[in-house]
Amino acid sequence: MMSKKLIWIFAVTAIMLFAVLNVFRKGEAETPPPLSVHKSVAIDSTKCIAPASFMRANHMQVLYEWRNSSVRTGNRVYIASNGSKYEKSLNTCLGCHSNNRMFCFNCHSYANVKPKCWNCHLSPMETP
Amino acid sequence: MMNEQRREFIKKTALGVLVGLGAASGLVPAFSLEKTVLPVWDEKPVPGKIRWGMLIDMRKCKEGCQQCATACHHAHNVPDFRNKKDEIKWLWQNSYQKVFPTASQQFVSKEIQDRSYLALCNHCADSPCTKACPTEATFKRWDGIVAMDYHRCIGCRFCMAACPYGSRSFNWQDPRTAIHEPVTTYPTREQGVVEKCNFCSDRLVKGQQPACTEACPEQVLTFGDLNDPRSDIRRLLETNETMQRKPELGTKPSVFYII
Repeated sequence: MMSKKLIWIFAVTAIMLFAVLNVFRKGEAETPPPLSVHKSVAIDSTKCIAPASFMRANHMQVLYEWRNSSVRTGNRVYIASNGSKYEKSLNTCLGCHSNNRMFCFNCHSYANVKPKCWNCHLSPMETP
Repeated sequence: MMNEQRREFIKKTALGVLVGLGAASGLVPAFSLEKTVLPVWDEKPVPGKIRWGMLIDMRKCKEGCQQCATACHHAHNVPDFRNKKDEIKWLWQNSYQKVFPTASQQFVSKEIQDRSYLALCNHCADSPCTKACPTEATFKRWDGIVAMDYHRCIGCRFCMAACPYGSRSFNWQDPRTAIHEPVTTYPTREQGVVEKCNFCSDRLVKGQQPACTEACPEQVLTFGDLNDPRSDIRRLLETNETMQRKPELGTKPSVFYII
C-alpha cells in the first residue's frame, strides 16, 4: 500500500529531525566560551589593496578610515573590492613599500604636505 | 469506504503534527541552528561580551624584581627620562600608603606596610578619565579596556586630573629622545600627548598574554576575562580574598590585588 509506505517515511523523517535538532541543542549548551578572542586571520599582503591611481588620490581617506575603525571599533580586517582581506595597519602598506625608502616622502615633499604619521609611527626611512 | 478515508485523514494529521513538533522542538525555543554558525573571524567585536581584568598576587611578588615593568616599557617604547618630573609610567611600583591610601584594613603587618606594590591603569568599568576627555581620545573599548587613541589626544590633561590612580603620564618632552632600546613592533608617542597602560591590546589581537604577565617569573599576574565564570581569574577571585584600589570611588577597577 502506497500510503502506508508514505506514512513510514514521514514517521522516520520526523524522528530523525527531532533527534538531530536535540543533538545540536545539547552541543550548544556544552561548548565552553572561547578563552582567546583572537582568531587567526589569513592576511593577504602581497598585492596592493587598490590600483595605484586610486591610492594616489585616496590613500589619506583609506588610512583615516582604517585608523578609526581598527583603533576605535576593533574592526581590523579590510575587505578589498576583489574580496581579498588585509589587516588595517600602516604596516600592511609598509610591508611592501618599505623597499622604497622615499615612498611617502617624494610626493609629500613635492606637494608640500606634512602629515604627522611619523611623529609616532615608524617611517619607511627608519625601517630596518 | 467512508471509514477508511476518515482513518487515513486521522493518520496523516497525526503525522503532520508529529513532524511539526519535531521541527519546532529544535527551532522555535532555542534557535539552535542559528547558533551553530561560527564566524570566520571577529570582524566586528561584540561590545560588552568580554571584560579583561588582572589579578596581582603580591604574596608571590619578589621585592626588587622589575622584570614586568621592564618588559612592559620595552614592548611599548615607553621613554625613560631618568627624572621624576618627566616620568612616564605604564606599570610601576609604589608604597602601600600610595597604592592603597583608603584601604579599610587597620593594623596591617609591618611587612605589608613596608613593601612596594605594583600599580597600573585599572581599566575601570566606570572610568572617570573617559568622561573627562573632551575629544574622546580616551575611550572605553568593546572589551573593557580603557584605550587611548593618541591621534585624537590634544594634551589637555583633563584625564590626568580625573584619574584617581595617577595612571596617566604626560609627554612634556619628545619621548623619542628618551627611548633607549626602541622596538619596531609598536609606535612611539609624540610630545604633548598623554599615555598609559593599554592592557597590551596590541598583544591581545595576536592572541598573546600581556607583556608583564608573560615576563613575570613567579606568576604574580593573572590576566583573563572577568565576564567568563570559567576563567582562571574568576576562579582565583572566587577562592581568595582580594581588594581593589580605592573601591569606594565606584570606578569598579578591573585590576584586583591579593596582599
